[in-house]
Amino acid sequence: MSRQSENSTLLEMRDIAVSFGAVRALDGVSFSLKAGEVLGLMGDNGAGKSTMVKTIAGNLTPTSGSIHLSGQPTIFNGPSDARAAGIEVVYQDLALCNNLSAAENVFLGREIMHRIAGIPVAVNGREMRDRAARLFEELQSDTRANQMVNSMSGGQRQAVAIARTRLNKSRIVLLDEPTAAISVRQVEQVLKLIKRLQEQGVAVVLISHRMPDVFSVADRIVVLRRGTKVADVMTAKTSPEEVTGLITGAVERVGV
Amino acid sequence: MSISPIAQNTRNQSWWVEHLNEIGLLIALFVLVAVFSQTAPNFLSDRNLINILRSAAYVGIVAFPMTFVIIAGEIDISVGPAVAFAGVAFAQLVSAFAIPIPLALLLVCAFGALLGGVSGWLKVRYAVPTFISTLALWSALRGGALWWSDALPVIVPSREFRAVLGGDFLGLPTVVWLMLATFVLFSYLAILSRYGRHIYALGANAAAVAALGINSARLRISIMASTGIFAALVGVLIDARLGSGNANAATGLEFDVIAAVIVGGTLLTGGHGRMTGTLLGVLVIAVLANGLVLNGVDPDVQQVVRGGVILLAVLVNAALAKRAHGATGK
Ligand SMILES: Nc1ncnc2c1ncn2[C@@H]1O[C@H](COP(=O)(O)OP(=O)(O)OP(=O)(O)O)[C@@H](O)[C@H]1O
Ligand SMILES: [Mg+2]
Repeated sequence: MSRQSENSTLLEMRDIAVSFGAVRALDGVSFSLKAGEVLGLMGDNGAGKSTMVKTIAGNLTPTSGSIHLSGQPTIFNGPSDARAAGIEVVYQDLALCNNLSAAENVFLGREIMHRIAGIPVAVNGREMRDRAARLFEELQSDTRANQMVNSMSGGQRQAVAIARTRLNKSRIVLLDEPTAAISVRQVEQVLKLIKRLQEQGVAVVLISHRMPDVFSVADRIVVLRRGTKVADVMTAKTSPEEVTGLITGAVERVGV
Repeated sequence: MSISPIAQNTRNQSWWVEHLNEIGLLIALFVLVAVFSQTAPNFLSDRNLINILRSAAYVGIVAFPMTFVIIAGEIDISVGPAVAFAGVAFAQLVSAFAIPIPLALLLVCAFGALLGGVSGWLKVRYAVPTFISTLALWSALRGGALWWSDALPVIVPSREFRAVLGGDFLGLPTVVWLMLATFVLFSYLAILSRYGRHIYALGANAAAVAALGINSARLRISIMASTGIFAALVGVLIDARLGSGNANAATGLEFDVIAAVIVGGTLLTGGHGRMTGTLLGVLVIAVLANGLVLNGVDPDVQQVVRGGVILLAVLVNAALAKRAHGATGK
């Protein structure tokens, strides 16, 4: 692909450390992310993956180190700062409401309103349905905009959570274990969604324990072990066996 | 136009399935009216029908905000004593403190909002269940009303007040119009406002609402304040009817209000309910109570019958919720 933005570094994390009291969850981790790139972030339980996601998303302030967006040093004072900068997160528990439809969930907290003289008077259900339907179409998901969440498959729920990230055309989407609790067929759907995001020039950070998922969509893999980066390699230049070794410590370091 | 935000978007279910509860209540209402019109000769008289509507109105004005409270996953059991306390406080402010009636009305409503808001705040800040904080209010407000009035009626010295708020307007009691206005207001909030959408979301998944940057503390505090405001309003309306504030007014009102909401199909587990259901629930309970009295049923037995009807409605609703929303009703 020859999209020029793909060469530019979108996000750079420099020497990030995060401590919780005596626990050093991240101990000087650096990595970068380009537009349209899918980065697989791997590591054992407690390695610091979720902590990294929360730091990028503005939920945690790093103890030391700096965040650079398109080359500019940036400080996030909360998730809404990160969101305004085009960073969206899909958390593992998805944060969906079972009693609302797909469209209502996508627009929850950002409802489109009918306005009279600029004053919002009523929710514009049709507009939200239409726009949600278009988002699902872009993502090539079979989720229907007026479907209730409680009747959806795990893959369709992921689609709703991912569609949410497309509302304000985010540049970076962070997915924390999106394939952990769903069936094999639905995993396929979610991996397709990630490829759609990539085609639209979005940079994706995918956290997963599932080796095949990461190898099928990630361009590059970063492995964390006890808060430090032990690998940063192109997916094509490594193997599931090597990555497993990196995660457990059987393989010391690759590419760092 | 569909009737609810939920129904509007459940194209995979039929409108009938989603509204079985309201249809059932409508049928129940017709059956009750048909039976009572046969067994009690006065039942269908204008005078009696107006009596039914008036007693329904006192319940309904509080039942619509209560529907939202229960949809949000909370409860307010203090509304009966809150009505009595507001009634006494209003009468005292007007008679002993010579405060103008509109200002006194505003003051008692503001105080109601404050107490309800405190319950909401205790939930937000210290995770105190609203059942517990409003239980404390239930006791304190009835006691406060008795203490402030020496358990005697406190006369409100104003004829116009009685004539306007306690009288009729266009052939119906003013309270009935106010109940309809409350119904329209809360239906608007539930179906068309962003606020209402967030209340439904809060009742289903509070963590999600917070994660999306919606101010859930403000939602909870404001919704608890709303029952306080409307209970205070009912307290003043009862003063207008009786001409005095009474510490023993609205005894057991919380029971009728919550029963009407539940009979109307709102689930105590939160997230599901509609104002149309509550309106029908209020009417069914008012017709039932009135019919039992007219039929000369022993008051103790009346209580048993009402309890049985509520139990039945809850069982039916549980079965319907299972069909409409999946196994857990969530
Ligand atoms: N809020 C917190 N307070 C204290 N310690 C924390 C907190 N959050 C994370 N930690 C600790 O930081 C370390 C890294 O946790 P993190 O959640 O980032 O791991 P992870 O790689 O996402 O693991 P998993 O695969 O289990 O999700 C762990 O030792 C964890 O116990
Ligand atoms: Mg994690």
